[in-house]
Amino acid sequence: MASLKAMMRDNLVMSNICQRPTRALVSIAGIALGVLLVVLNTGLVHGIMSDRMRREQSLGAELLFWRSSSSNLSPSSVLSLHVRYAELLRQIPGVRLVSPVARYVQSGSSGIGIEQIDGIEFDTYAAISGLRIVEGRVFQNDDEVIVDELKAEKSQARVGSEIQVFGRKMKVVGIYRPESGARIKMSLQAMQRAQGAPDKCTFIMIKCEDPEQQLEVQQRINAALPHNTVQLTREIATGFERSIPGLAGFVNAVLALSTVVSTLVILLAMYTTITERTREIGILKSLGASKSYIIGVIEKEALIISSIGVVVGLVASVVAGWGIERSTILKLEFRWLWVVVATLIGLAAGLIGALYPAVRAANQDPVKALAYE
Amino acid sequence: MEPILKTENLTMTYRVGKVDVPALRGVNLSVAPGEFVAIMGPSGCGKSTLLHILGGLLKPTSGRVIVDGEDLTAVSDAARTEIRRRKIGFVFQRFNLFPTLTAEGNLRLAEHIHGNNRRQTDAETRREVLKLLRLENKMRHKPLELSGGEQQRVAIARAVINRPAIILADEPTGNLDSENSALVLQMLAELNKQFRQTIVMITHNPEAAAVTERIIEMRDGRIIES
Repeated sequence: MASLKAMMRDNLVMSNICQRPTRALVSIAGIALGVLLVVLNTGLVHGIMSDRMRREQSLGAELLFWRSSSSNLSPSSVLSLHVRYAELLRQIPGVRLVSPVARYVQSGSSGIGIEQIDGIEFDTYAAISGLRIVEGRVFQNDDEVIVDELKAEKSQARVGSEIQVFGRKMKVVGIYRPESGARIKMSLQAMQRAQGAPDKCTFIMIKCEDPEQQLEVQQRINAALPHNTVQLTREIATGFERSIPGLAGFVNAVLALSTVVSTLVILLAMYTTITERTREIGILKSLGASKSYIIGVIEKEALIISSIGVVVGLVASVVAGWGIERSTILKLEFRWLWVVVATLIGLAAGLIGALYPAVRAANQDPVKALAYE
Repeated sequence: MEPILKTENLTMTYRVGKVDVPALRGVNLSVAPGEFVAIMGPSGCGKSTLLHILGGLLKPTSGRVIVDGEDLTAVSDAARTEIRRRKIGFVFQRFNLFPTLTAEGNLRLAEHIHGNNRRQTDAETRREVLKLLRLENKMRHKPLELSGGEQQRVAIARAVINRPAIILADEPTGNLDSENSALVLQMLAELNKQFRQTIVMITHNPEAAAVTERIIEMRDGRIIES
């Protein structure tokens, strides 16, 4: 501790940081904000994607059937598939069960992200997915829904409460498990009526007689009902993130935004401090400090501030992630790649942001700098 | 004996707007190793400009400056900085210590810059300098915790700690009361005597100039008496 205090007193870089705590804290906050933006947003994106993917794969069906012009994985509300396809699919050899699903997407109830609602035929859906009611009962009327246990817990959607669907209040009449597909489910017919699309659905779940034969069944369906899409549920993982329009663009925008924010904060902070320290730059020059030495002093200061900012940003991301998971149904998934990217962005922003003020300081006229008041 | 500091027909002209203002008009100066010299003259006569050129902080309009055998006017800006680092120590009227650092930190910074990231001053020299300047018990203090005289002694210690060939002092007693002025001058004289340190000092004060071995009078950018 004593040696640390001595370093603060005797080291130019450390003493400068300690001398101007408010400026240092603002700079640290700027870098931390950039790191937080990257880690939290990518964590949310990957968490939500993984959660959706896991629930899609938990449908219990080996195959999903939908019109080639739409995708059940995209966040659009499209009821373009006629439910008569369910009967046609049921007649194909190797198919044991089918269940049409109408999917609707609305903005998340917590104000973040999106929320899906599935319109289902309860009996066939339950037979395929193993879904069962653990509290309350199955929906019977158009204004009734059932929710999974996580939704019930995080959104206070207990049996008897009301939630917003299609912009109007609907009554929660049952809670189910396990998680599969959308977290909110209602009757298929009710969804069709609400969407003005009678006899339509978004996709059809297919359970095979023998899961080992799913490839053969897929081929038979393609042959019998060409120009449609039949996807193996186990392959949902591949290309899932690519199926979300604009996802890559969103992530890139977050990266660019956080880089710009962090760089500007450091640039402004270091520019201000260099102006304040004009006379000190002159003293350094009178002592024989080279341009590279002066640039090094300023860059070291920026690097220390950035490093602290990165650590604060990472800790803040974990805390914010914990808070989001605790208070909403959103899932976060932090990936090391993005932690590394955020760290590099934070450090690089600090170094780049300090470079211009550092070069400007190094090129100051020493006599004018010494005369600076 | 070969001079440690020499100027040949040194001129310096500042451009102020569209007007050329001559500050030095052909200065020829020679300082022997170990000499303690005062430069006197009225304000605006070119003393500070001369000192800045001798220290490599300014480049003259024409003429030569030879410091310990090296021509400051014939080298690049980076090389001039290197010569300044190795051969010149500055003492300023306003002390110019780093306010965020302790006295020890200010000295270490000078050592750090001089040593290219290695602390080079030997412990014996350091002890002698601090003892001579009576700073042994002041090293943990920051400048604002020291009196003006103590701050100037720290500044002198910083200037000599790396044993430069020449100390250039710009009005070192200008901000001090008479008691502290006398003390600082006495210490500069002792440094000159004990370490054979060459010192060139600018001053307005005849009493300060009196402690030196030689007084150079300047007027209107020229040396009129040496």
